[in-house]
Amino acid sequence: MSVPPSILLEGAILGLNYGLLAVGLVLIYRTSRVLNFAQGQLGVVAAVFFVKCYYDFGLDYWFALFLALGLAAAAGALSELLLRRLFGRPRVTVMVATIGLSQVLFLFTVLPFIRPKQLFRAFPVPIHWTFQVGSFLFPPADVLSLIVAPVVVVALAAFIGLSRWGLAMRATADNAESARLSGVWVRRTSTVAWTIAGVLSAVTAVLASPGQTGVLTQVLSPGLLLLALLAAILGAMVSLPVAFAAGIGVGVVQEVLLWNITNPSSGSATVELILFALLQLALLVRATSLQKGSRTFERSSWAMGTASFRLHVDGLRKKVGNSGVGAAFGIAALLPFVIGVGHSYLMSQVCIYAVIALSLTVLTGWAGQVSLGQFGLVAVGTDLAAHLGASVPLPLLLPAAGIATALVSVVVGLTALRIRGLYLAVSTLGFAFFMQTSVLATPCWTVPLLHRQVCTGLPNPQSTLISRPSLFGLSLSSEQAFAWFSLGVLVLSVLMVRTWRDCGIARRFIAVRDNEVAAAATGIHVVRTKLLAFALSGFVAGYAGVCLAFWLERFSTDTFDPTVSILVVSMVVIGGIDSISGALLGALYLVGIPAIFGTTTTTEFLTSGVGLLAFILYLPGGMAELMHRLGDLATGVTKAARGRWGGPEADEGCGEDPVAVPLTGALP
Amino acid sequence: MKGPARLEVQDLVVSFGGLRAVDTVSMTVDPGEIVGLIGSNGSGKTTLLDVVSGLVPALSGAALVDGEDLADYLPEERAAIGVVRSFQECRLFPELSVEDTLLLTEDARKTTDVLSATMQLPWARRVEKAKRRAVDGVIASFGLERFRYHQTRQLSTGTRRVVDLASIVLAHPRLLLLDEPTAGIAQREAEAFVPLLRRLQEVTGATILIVEHDVPLVFDLCSTVVVMQTGRLVASGPPEVVKRDQRALDAYLGASEEALRASGPLSDQDQAPGRAGP
Repeated sequence: MSVPPSILLEGAILGLNYGLLAVGLVLIYRTSRVLNFAQGQLGVVAAVFFVKCYYDFGLDYWFALFLALGLAAAAGALSELLLRRLFGRPRVTVMVATIGLSQVLFLFTVLPFIRPKQLFRAFPVPIHWTFQVGSFLFPPADVLSLIVAPVVVVALAAFIGLSRWGLAMRATADNAESARLSGVWVRRTSTVAWTIAGVLSAVTAVLASPGQTGVLTQVLSPGLLLLALLAAILGAMVSLPVAFAAGIGVGVVQEVLLWNITNPSSGSATVELILFALLQLALLVRATSLQKGSRTFERSSWAMGTASFRLHVDGLRKKVGNSGVGAAFGIAALLPFVIGVGHSYLMSQVCIYAVIALSLTVLTGWAGQVSLGQFGLVAVGTDLAAHLGASVPLPLLLPAAGIATALVSVVVGLTALRIRGLYLAVSTLGFAFFMQTSVLATPCWTVPLLHRQVCTGLPNPQSTLISRPSLFGLSLSSEQAFAWFSLGVLVLSVLMVRTWRDCGIARRFIAVRDNEVAAAATGIHVVRTKLLAFALSGFVAGYAGVCLAFWLERFSTDTFDPTVSILVVSMVVIGGIDSISGALLGALYLVGIPAIFGTTTTTEFLTSGVGLLAFILYLPGGMAELMHRLGDLATGVTKAARGRWGGPEADEGCGEDPVAVPLTGALP
Repeated sequence: MKGPARLEVQDLVVSFGGLRAVDTVSMTVDPGEIVGLIGSNGSGKTTLLDVVSGLVPALSGAALVDGEDLADYLPEERAAIGVVRSFQECRLFPELSVEDTLLLTEDARKTTDVLSATMQLPWARRVEKAKRRAVDGVIASFGLERFRYHQTRQLSTGTRRVVDLASIVLAHPRLLLLDEPTAGIAQREAEAFVPLLRRLQEVTGATILIVEHDVPLVFDLCSTVVVMQTGRLVASGPPEVVKRDQRALDAYLGASEEALRASGPLSDQDQAPGRAGP
């Protein structure tokens, strides 16, 4: 079966987009060691502005293009200035910040002076040339891509290889401090790289837009970015030519696979499965070269340097804290009496999202494994509820779904034994896509060799309906009842996670996160501990998925869009990544604020994007830290009220080193 | 298994790429002995410790504890049979408090399964209480009470070393591998380390193999001194003998006779023949 050349060429043209994006990713990565999740969004803003200039302002194509590229360059440079203060932090922190950045950039596309009046107009193309291969006519947009993309990449390669900026970029990437000492303007170099990446992204968006069928603002979606990441990783995040070529390769592979598939309904699922396998394979094969030498930095996991994990506090402060938490839960328990149906529905949502956020507190906050695919795990629980919800009683279904999801999570975690930090995030994001587009979207499939049908996906991927069960004879069908049920699940989850925190499990996670070698030398099983973190996190996510299913009652594959996974990450980061109250506060913030101002993508991205950037940049401890300070304040007030405002407390911080002390004290 | 362990290193070879970091080294550390390992930078001392604690695989040869080859043991399994080590940089766990760091050592020895910990079953509570009692004892005897709730990253290097020693006491070692325990702390504190390490040996009863740059400290503390140079073992024996060994002096002491004199004055007969002044 030979593939017609038109298919190959079409794949290559599609791949040019991936290649260009990949080149931008590699460029930024090489200079600032940042995996830039905003790479696509930088260009989208420019493309939207371009359409505005062309149609609404009636400008000439080339002048409009010039303005759009200028906007992208400015956006790139400004992004670098904004994120610059984070460059000393662990790489995953910066990566999550770029997620926030991409959400904020999305907001620019809705600004009145950037958003065109009509989003669905044909994207302008300056040439009218077409050509034919076989029976397939290639439109002018493809011709434009074929001309412009290679020229841009060759020009960029020449710039980096020949100019002194290029040398500075390479030096900065290898060792920023040494480069600085040898007279390289590291900061200026990094700004230049981001500016170029912005322009590159704009070129990509302008080239990719004419061929798109969807909304203009979605042109470089996370799915496309993931494929670009695949190409960039194939180039080991270093080589521009390899990344570009790999991008074209990925495009060709995708087109050929699609062409080969005879059954259109399950076809795209198979393509996604193969692409997911390719991504995992690329990560595993490239893992060694991605993580060696000067790149030890990327191995580092999430460590915020915050003090919110198990703060020690005195008796009175503890009382104040406990009564605050108790009061909050007490009020929450009474709420369904007062609020209406709509708000009870919202309250259930906050509770369920808080439980999902807790699962990330365990995995990311404590074990330091950044997962961008947590909703993929939640989907496992939901899927089980869709299949078993009617037959298995709820008290049995919750733990069963938890255990099943824990097993899936451990399998996902197996890759974490080899892939770390940034690349684990990419791998888990791939998992989330795979769950949505492959597993959930295929109701039934035939096991090869056994020839037996298994039904693992959603019974109806477009719209699955289930009805709420009853719990111990009490029906959960009313929104009020369900709000109480969700609150109950949340309270039990908090108690369980607190036990993990206080009884030695969390400290094992943190020890392995902070210093794997020392933990092993102490006698902590590193592999076992890592997998345990995935299992516990998966357990929580699994039963949260069951609750989510019964809360929604109707869901589709769109419910599990990977952007939701990213939203959950924002939740824990904004709330305070390593504290239990942080997960709760984050859920309250990210579900509550958009609900007040009307739940649209804009308000959601506004709260999460701005929140992410603000908290990562200025208050890494998150909202939990704010609450903690509030508690300190309340304690101070209580003390004053009791008239116990004693003398200054003993200074504990900078005492003398106790090296001489053990000699006097008796050893056991 | 109780009491100090015996360490035998047989024809050990470790190579990184083309470089032979450890080149056919054999040595024996008898139970209860304190052996010092000295040598210039890059002579393979730390690599030798890494092999014994399982962090670096040997190309050939073996490290035996009580006659048993450790090749198939993971680092964490070696800890379980009493092979405990400290690290040169003593980073410990930056985000854990001193109390949690010490509790971690107890966790490794008395693991409770997740299910009974989650359900707060009576035995899980009992074990956790026992762990806390043991840690309380060590905190009191090392004078760490003030630092109990401080995160490790907030501590000075000296205090971190003490925390490290405290967790060593908790780990009940049978063979203790110390990698430059005085690196990064002041001279005055380093001097305090000799009686402290002696005490440590008395309390734990472990065999100790110590890598150290502070040569006077090693000569003061150890019953046997082993000298390495570029991966090879060049001299070994009691301190008095090694001090007079020409090859040992060339390998290490020659270069830093000044340093040797600085903290521990050499008497005339201690000085190397041929190197003594006029």
